Amino acid sequence: MGMIYIMLTVSLMIALFFLVSFFWATKTGQFDDDFAPSVRILFDDETNNNSKTQTDGSTEI
Amino acid sequence: MSEACYHCGDKIHGKGIHFDDKDFCCIGCKNVYQLLSNSALGKFYQLEKGAGQKPQSGTLEKYAFLEVEKIRKKFVDFEDQDHARVTLFLPQIHCSSCIYLLENLSRIDKRILSCQVNFAKREAVINFETTLKLSELAHLLDQIGYTPNFGDRKTSEQKKDRSMLYKLGFAGFAFGSIMLWSFPEYLGIEKDNPEFRSFTSYLSLIVSLPVFFYSASDYFMSAYKALKFKRLNLDVPITIGILALYCQSLYSIFINAGPGYMDSFAGFIFFLLIGKWFQSKTYISLSFERDYKAYFPVAVTRIVMDTEEIVEIEDIHIDDILLMRNDEVIPCDSILESEHARIDYSFVTGESEHISKKKGDFIYAGGKLIGQRSALKVMKESDRSHLTSLWNEVRSEKEKSSRSIYQDKMSVYFLAALLIIAAAASIVWFFIDSSRVMEIVVAVLIVACPCALALSAPFTYGNTMRLLGRKGLYLKNTSVIERINTITDIVFDKTGTLTSSSQYHVEYVGDELNEDEKKAICSLANSSTHPLSRSIVNQFIEQQISPSESIDNFEELTGKGLQGKINGVRLQLGSSQFVGVHQTEKNESTSHVRIGEKCGTFRFSSELRNGIENLPKSLDRYALHIISGDGEQDAALLESIFPKSTSIHFHQTPEDKLNYVKNLQANDKKVLMIGDGLNDSGALGIADVGIAVSEEAFRFTPSSDAIIDAEALTRLQPFLQTSAFSKNILRICLAFSLSYNITGLSFALTGMLTPLVAAVIMPVSSITVVCISTFGVLLYGRFSRRKKT
Repeated sequence: MGMIYIMLTVSLMIALFFLVSFFWATKTGQFDDDFAPSVRILFDDETNNNSKTQTDGSTEI
Repeated sequence: MSEACYHCGDKIHGKGIHFDDKDFCCIGCKNVYQLLSNSALGKFYQLEKGAGQKPQSGTLEKYAFLEVEKIRKKFVDFEDQDHARVTLFLPQIHCSSCIYLLENLSRIDKRILSCQVNFAKREAVINFETTLKLSELAHLLDQIGYTPNFGDRKTSEQKKDRSMLYKLGFAGFAFGSIMLWSFPEYLGIEKDNPEFRSFTSYLSLIVSLPVFFYSASDYFMSAYKALKFKRLNLDVPITIGILALYCQSLYSIFINAGPGYMDSFAGFIFFLLIGKWFQSKTYISLSFERDYKAYFPVAVTRIVMDTEEIVEIEDIHIDDILLMRNDEVIPCDSILESEHARIDYSFVTGESEHISKKKGDFIYAGGKLIGQRSALKVMKESDRSHLTSLWNEVRSEKEKSSRSIYQDKMSVYFLAALLIIAAAASIVWFFIDSSRVMEIVVAVLIVACPCALALSAPFTYGNTMRLLGRKGLYLKNTSVIERINTITDIVFDKTGTLTSSSQYHVEYVGDELNEDEKKAICSLANSSTHPLSRSIVNQFIEQQISPSESIDNFEELTGKGLQGKINGVRLQLGSSQFVGVHQTEKNESTSHVRIGEKCGTFRFSSELRNGIENLPKSLDRYALHIISGDGEQDAALLESIFPKSTSIHFHQTPEDKLNYVKNLQANDKKVLMIGDGLNDSGALGIADVGIAVSEEAFRFTPSSDAIIDAEALTRLQPFLQTSAFSKNILRICLAFSLSYNITGLSFALTGMLTPLVAAVIMPVSSITVVCISTFGVLLYGRFSRRKKT
């Protein structure tokens, strides 16, 4: 029976982890633009020498 | 031979330009296509059909001001020895093809290292080598149809919007967690295990604290502010409900009687915030509040001691001499120093004809210089010019909140009913079992909370806004929908609203032309993207003349005209000085042509937009008015379309338009004003609803409540009807939410409001209301589309 207290606490920790990730993602601006990333992942990687054209969608802050 | 231009999707008039097995409407589009296919960016056309923009015929000189160090610093985010990064506002970004093209910009010019698009803000962050000049970069973007807008220096941060996401995120986390822990309570499992119950209760309490103090804070502030001003809004009963819920739960947990209603509390806040978040998702990309800075140029050329220098308009002083080029907007009230100039004041006064000025004449800011370079002496600084002072004055007068009037009205009834029921319940229960009075009253307060009602308005209006946006009418916020339903009078501006600013009616006067000569002129005009040239071409095409001749030695001289040789004969089309013809008609929009020995004149007058003829008929419920800054030349045209009862006024200045609307409002009329947002911005601001017509929705529009696509103007009546319909949906939602409140009340009054019951009622009511509003509007959109033929 005591097990459930531990399990509840652990599940709370996990949920907190996801909450903090959500806050971090929001803070770094990942939710500011919700259209461009959805379109960007569908672009093909073109097979030519110019590898500089690939952007991986990461935002720098 | 296809109907639509492969690049921009516009209808091709006449033969168009054929290249590489594809058809284009003009040379500009064909050039962009060529540039893209040479850079292996052909995929641009596969992502979306006709996604290209017609490029403007700008020159590199236009961007010379970017090389001035002080100005350049404003736009460059970061710079070192070899690289620089700049964030540019490109209002033409509108689809996935745009993203594709811009992010692969490095294929067009290797000095561009990378580019990332922020679609919501319509911005592109470009990293490039410093060997590429900023002005060259701007010119390149201009050439492919994405002209950067430098005047729009938006300083508002999006960080403020993020707090909504934080609050929502935490409330969601709390809601899920607390409900999970409350499950045994619903099923009645651990009633005999007080340790377990208090463990989960206190855990819920801890998690709920930030929800109460942070996530719900907006509602408390709003209710407090309203009460301070002795007003009532919907947040007052909501706050009462929240406080009752939370305090009861705290009490219950501290005396170990159970976990109270913490799960309902967290869920409650969560659903309320979803409604708020949904309502706040408006068109970030469209700005309804741009000021004069977005319209005036960033910098102009000033002459100091015989040298030209580029200065920002904020640095212009009285008595400076400015050198203005063709098509530049004059930023300050000034006096003409050169001998002659022609000014296009259509943006300021609505007059479509160019005004001729001579040396010493006063020129108002806001006009566009047409023709050759002129020197102007500044009389007033740009932010104090006549035009901007008019804009500023109007904006400070208007004060419209985005709160829903309907909701606030409802809140009064709610509170009244609530207090009566609570009082009655406490009296009744006092006689039945006086120990339970407190519990019952609190339960009544909890259940009477208008959560579902609070959701119905944001979702109904939010969905309506999106529906209207898809069809071409973009609203600033949801309160506009409510105001539209009260409209009695509609006032139209003429120039640029009812008439197209890019299509003209053409009349030819002069030496007779034979078939071949007409064909030649048509072909010459077809090589230009200028609206006047396109109008000439369209006119000829209607007479079955096609622009099929090929031109040698073609030249387009900005501010002057076009010239070239067709079949050995020399042609010129343009201003009277260029063509060498004596201008007999003054102050008229004209273009002169010389072919071989013959010469003649094309006269332009404004043409009504396609489909406008049907518009007045559909609006017979409203009183119609037309006010125009132009003269009476189009009176007959307007009278033929609008009903006799329409009042039409000409020669109206911006102030006249403003006063006209004011007068109507003084007579208790509710006015909907439709204009192009520039010379009538005062009237638009003061009207109950102001709609600005835009040929490209992403261009500049100062203070209006809505923006309508030019070609959507004919659908005004269905738009108005949609707004009226959304009110019906709102009523249905109200009925549903009331029924839930009554059901909950029946539980509360009989003392049977267990946490389980509360936890079930509230999400169910919220979800029902959301579904009704969403599907109601959605189905209406589909249904009305099928009805239209």
